[in-house]
Amino acid sequence: MEFWLTVARWIDRLNEGIGRLSTGLVLILVGVGVWNVLARYLGQYIQQNLASNALIEIQWYLFALIFFLGAAYTLKHNGHVRVDIFYKNWDRRKQAIANLIGITCFLLPFCFLVLYFSWQTVLQSWLIREMSPDPGGLPRYPIKSMVLVSFSLLILQGISEGIKNLARLKNHPPAPTDLIPEEENHGL
Amino acid sequence: MGYDWLGPAMFAGALLLLSLGYPVAFSLGGVAILFGLVGVALDIFNPLFLTALPQRIFNIMANYTLLAIPYFVFLGAMLEKTGLAENLLETMGILFGRLRGGLALAVVLVGALLAASTGVVAATVVAMGLISLPVMLRYGYNKQLATGVIVASGTLGQIIPPSLVLVVLGDQLGISVGDLFIGAFIPGLLMAGAFALHVLIVAFLRPDVAPALPESVRNISKGELARRVVSVMIPPLLLIFLVLGSIFFGVATPTEAGAVGSLGAIILAALNGKLTGSALAEVSDSTLRISSMVIFILFGSTAFSLVFRGLNGDRFMFDLLTNLPGGTVGFLLVNMLVIFVLGFFIDFFEIAFIIIPIFAPVARALGLDMLWYGVILGANLQTSFLTPPFGFALFFLRGVAPPEITTEDIYRGAIPFIVLQVLVLVVLILFPPLVTFLPSLG
Amino acid sequence: QANPSGSPSTDSTSLPQLQWRMATSWPQSLDTIYGSAEAFCQKISDMTGGRFTITPFAAGEIVGGLEVLDAVQSGAVECGHTAAYYYIGKSAALAFGTTVPFGLNAQQHNAWLYSGGGLEAMQKIYADFNIINFPAGNTGAQMGGWFKREVNTLSDLQGLKMRIPGLGGKVMERLGVNAQVLPGGEIFLALDRGTIDAAEWVGPYDDEKLGLHNAAQYYYYPSWWEPGAALEVQVNKTAWERLPKEYQAIFKAASYQVNLEMLARYDRLNQEALERLLAGGTQLRSFSPEIMAAAQRVAFEIYAETANSDATFKEVYEPWREFRDKILQWHKINELSLTNFVAETL
Ligand code: NA
Ligand code: NA
Repeated sequence: MEFWLTVARWIDRLNEGIGRLSTGLVLILVGVGVWNVLARYLGQYIQQNLASNALIEIQWYLFALIFFLGAAYTLKHNGHVRVDIFYKNWDRRKQAIANLIGITCFLLPFCFLVLYFSWQTVLQSWLIREMSPDPGGLPRYPIKSMVLVSFSLLILQGISEGIKNLARLKNHPPAPTDLIPEEENHGL
Repeated sequence: MGYDWLGPAMFAGALLLLSLGYPVAFSLGGVAILFGLVGVALDIFNPLFLTALPQRIFNIMANYTLLAIPYFVFLGAMLEKTGLAENLLETMGILFGRLRGGLALAVVLVGALLAASTGVVAATVVAMGLISLPVMLRYGYNKQLATGVIVASGTLGQIIPPSLVLVVLGDQLGISVGDLFIGAFIPGLLMAGAFALHVLIVAFLRPDVAPALPESVRNISKGELARRVVSVMIPPLLLIFLVLGSIFFGVATPTEAGAVGSLGAIILAALNGKLTGSALAEVSDSTLRISSMVIFILFGSTAFSLVFRGLNGDRFMFDLLTNLPGGTVGFLLVNMLVIFVLGFFIDFFEIAFIIIPIFAPVARALGLDMLWYGVILGANLQTSFLTPPFGFALFFLRGVAPPEITTEDIYRGAIPFIVLQVLVLVVLILFPPLVTFLPSLG
Repeated sequence: QANPSGSPSTDSTSLPQLQWRMATSWPQSLDTIYGSAEAFCQKISDMTGGRFTITPFAAGEIVGGLEVLDAVQSGAVECGHTAAYYYIGKSAALAFGTTVPFGLNAQQHNAWLYSGGGLEAMQKIYADFNIINFPAGNTGAQMGGWFKREVNTLSDLQGLKMRIPGLGGKVMERLGVNAQVLPGGEIFLALDRGTIDAAEWVGPYDDEKLGLHNAAQYYYYPSWWEPGAALEVQVNKTAWERLPKEYQAIFKAASYQVNLEMLARYDRLNQEALERLLAGGTQLRSFSPEIMAAAQRVAFEIYAETANSDATFKEVYEPWREFRDKILQWHKINELSLTNFVAETL
């Protein structure tokens, strides 16, 4: 178990780092959004085209990066909402069992199948260097690849959560403090 | 054909499996995959069909409307985390003095405006949840009333024009979006009015659930009050109304207004000396987590509806409906029921795509006024966001509500508002001119 | 085509029962375009005695309207009804499959596709996507769209925000316009609220249904960027090769039929709709020679640049250009001179 907990800790560190870095994108997203509005009005005023599809697309690329890179980090912090009508009344043991079932029957199969059904279309996008169909738009292949990155990170985090819940189930002492999930949503 | 019931069975399966308490996003995706595999094993589902899944994910990524979500979450989180929202609502509470339920009324008003102008349920519910829920709780509001008001007014935007639901419906039904907007105007007002009336009546009958602010808070000098109004009430109110107004008058799209509003919130925080590095980091962190939560629910939901279609669940429903007795009333009743059930797990875009091709021909055959029918569908879709145990608006609020709010609080809180919406819906069905009168003038 | 047994007639009972799905790029409200996809499926069912059925799906039902090619390529659906120019991000030359600025009208485009090597050229590109395509519809010449204010000179275009996709958008961009792409459902709201200043969609019949005349007053013509937009059926090649020869022949025959019928319907409906719009107060305007000339120059600059950097584009463009110049010379002498003469005397 110790070995696996070490693995979990590494995974947690990875996703924590990626998540923290990605929060920086939020401010950039605000900045680009404001610039796009300014460009539109300023452009009309000075009769010059300051806006561009590249800047508009950067906006949704940034948002995609935020939720793609943030999903595993959010999972680590128990930020994905649950229907906890029963769950919250269960003891730690039962909750761990529910989580283990969820991880093995829902999370991992879903993520693996998304990867399985996506990689070809992403590869295809790379092979033809797919571009935005709109004038001045951005390349599509990098952002499409983020689906693979995101669901891979989720699989890793799922494994980490699985290990931690297994350790809980086995009442494995000592629960290292850095592995106890935050009490973000009520119930866990 | 023999296994067409598998599609509808997905709903029962999801109902069961979601109650396990595993995160909604992955449970929905997982249920979809499980049923897809069953379909493959029974040889009624071509696994290649699932290669449409990445395209659907890309489609959600590239959806410009959803881009409003991070901005409104940021705006809400900024006002909340820096205490600006609290000061604002508190000062309003003092101004309204003894008026019980004043805070809840303000939420109905602002929520309806915000919802109406963004048209994105997730953005509205999350922003209102962040801004107003903690304050209402602190001043002793009943948890159920507080959460009910937020989810209900957050979904109001689906029927108050300009509304995304109506745009999609108009497109699908082949009727003028402009007429739909005008037709939905009175129904939208009726709903907002019903909510406000409900809050007033509840506050009157049961002072404990929506108290006025305590004497100790209210009791400040006139000079102090004036200072607070100018310094903490007017600036954020101005910001909120600038954001809403710019969307309403077509100066900016919801996404644009959200972006500028976010910057405005940052500036406000700075002016109040609350803008610290850690506050910015915290707000960005909330934005990232909440956006991830919302978008991944949409991913799970899109997988769910893809498999539902792959299993010919839509055809099953069509066969069921076309063989239904009961005329117009029976048809409308089934309409409502189906939308409620679909609304448990499927985003409204997808509901519109699934049901309208099935329902619209029947409605035409029954000779219904399509404009009226479109508004009824819109009102109906709105209610489906609220239906426990799995309405989307309920998930979104659950995701940002503090721990002392239980999921049951949110469910119970939604129920009176669902009843109100159904009542308004019944009134609209009984009195079609409420919808058709205004458009007939044009 | 001979079947293995060599018998002259087809024994229909030996043909398999097949059920396909067709993803389309259209909302159901586009009853001419989506209706053609439905009609196509109906014809195939009729011609095969119900043994080969295809169910059409509106945009968004299976995949979004701009992702039909991907869904056909991956096999998620066996076929799709869409427009090639939605996919110029994948291969720029696909623009020629639909229409390009200052290109061919519907009749000329069909001449290029069926008789001038165009269809072969397109099918060669699609082969890389494991797709085979057949022309299946044409909107005819489109309209130049709805403007909230008049545009007479090139400087009127500076900073104008317009919904216009594809190559037309690229040309507009070079003329100083901020070209945007919005899906059909969002155009009305954006134009009505003033978040865009102008929008083009299809022609009078479809534009009227979106209610664009309620959002902007000036209706410009012609759509120099879409002189005749061709639509097509795309089929996953693996699925195509598994089809019995009889079904393949029926499939092709049905695509010829809808290609003709859609254009015929549009030519009638557009005229009627334009009359209604004008009666309702819509102001008709034509693009000024200044704008048209600049746009044409820019368009051919873009083609030359793209041909320099994209071998596939060049391979399609050069013979297309030659074909275009020749057929225009021929039509100018004979067909257009009569049409112009008669139209002037109206
Ligand atoms: Na609205
Ligand atoms: Na067009």
